[in-house]
Amino acid sequence: MRRRHEVPVYRPDIYSPQAILDPYPHYAKLRELGPVVWLPRRKVYALPRYAECKAVLLDDKTFVSGDGVALNPVTNRLSRGTTLNSDGEDHAARRARVANRLTPRALRAMTDVVERQAAEIVDTALERCTVDGVEVAAALPMSVVPDLVGWPEEGREHLLRWGAATFDVLGPLNGQAIQAIPDGLGMMRFAHTVAKRRKVLPGSMGDDLLRAADAGELAHAECPALMIDYLAPSLDTTLSAIASALHLFATHPGQWQLLKDDPGLIPNAVNEVVRFESPLRAFSRKVARDTEIAGTALPAGARALVLYASANRDALKWDDPDTFDIRRNAAHQLGFGHGTHGCAGQGLARLETQAMLRALVARVDRIEPAGPPEWARNNIIHRLGRLPIELIPA
Amino acid sequence: MKISADYDRCEGHGLCAEQAPAIFELDDDAELVHHFDGSDIPPEQLAAARAAVTACPVAALRELP
Repeated sequence: MRRRHEVPVYRPDIYSPQAILDPYPHYAKLRELGPVVWLPRRKVYALPRYAECKAVLLDDKTFVSGDGVALNPVTNRLSRGTTLNSDGEDHAARRARVANRLTPRALRAMTDVVERQAAEIVDTALERCTVDGVEVAAALPMSVVPDLVGWPEEGREHLLRWGAATFDVLGPLNGQAIQAIPDGLGMMRFAHTVAKRRKVLPGSMGDDLLRAADAGELAHAECPALMIDYLAPSLDTTLSAIASALHLFATHPGQWQLLKDDPGLIPNAVNEVVRFESPLRAFSRKVARDTEIAGTALPAGARALVLYASANRDALKWDDPDTFDIRRNAAHQLGFGHGTHGCAGQGLARLETQAMLRALVARVDRIEPAGPPEWARNNIIHRLGRLPIELIPA
Repeated sequence: MKISADYDRCEGHGLCAEQAPAIFELDDDAELVHHFDGSDIPPEQLAAARAAVTACPVAALRELP
């Protein structure tokens, strides 16, 4: 078995400002080095390949989340009490409390409304000549999610920024994370106020939580963290997928034509977008007991970095992984994580992204690039920051 | 080979039904219908069935020997 000094080492910082903007060449080098690679800058064992990422996600007893999934101890402390940051029974109880509102089953009642809103968003975009695809992509999550979670009208203008910051601080404590701390705290403070003053919208998930706390099913003190749990990850991530879809179809007109010809490809196209430009780069897990991965010994207390975005480009798993092709079976992509901690909002994310693609396919003939896209800087979220495109009406 | 389904864990994402429509289906209430629950998967469906097991986002399906 390989011990620490025999494990391949990758010295460049995969969280440097440049690497954040263009991470894929780093991931390719990591995959080439082996299934387990030591990152001395971050003191973690990186898992750049598909098989090991999936195995770790499925073994949540050995690779635990309760000591945090961030790359720094400060955030790992601050995120105690969230679903993301818990294991076993605690996690199951927390997840069940809100996730039952997010299953495809529970969301069916919303489908018509979401489809109608998507249609309106595309119609509005078509009235203008050139649009910023990122603004188009933000519109649907911003109109669906805050109502569902029950966030008051007040404070919504900060949500995208606060949500992005909540992710940023889950990276290593680099300049990027440090800059994000005030906005991350802004979200926490506001969530506490919302819970304390009961400003949640009636009938929403937040309302459910407060009522459950009134009934003694959980402590009132647990409510703010749980609200953040479901609000913060539901905006930037879906925005990322929709914006990447616009970008990919603008730059792959043949793929757009395939989608126009057969809208039945839309569900798989969403999987392929999430595979190709995974909205989440990576989260970590703490190793709970001495174990091994692919012949490498990992001692208890070490941290493993599950690189979803790299697993989704692993040539051992995918044919021609750097080609965007909506015809490939992309259902096994790890962009939503997998298993116990798999994204609780993936049903909603799929619903929104599919609704946008359906609205686009019905109304748009072509999507054309109208200037160079810019990627946003965030330790965790990989998404476009600006995407000038032209939508040519059908 | 049999496949067990954990109905409590299932959230109705429907990826299994996309991978193996002859084995899994979501009914009108988006509840999982497992056509081979407790019985052997037909040989010609093995590949699709395995794809369904590994695609389940919440790991609610398990391959049994």
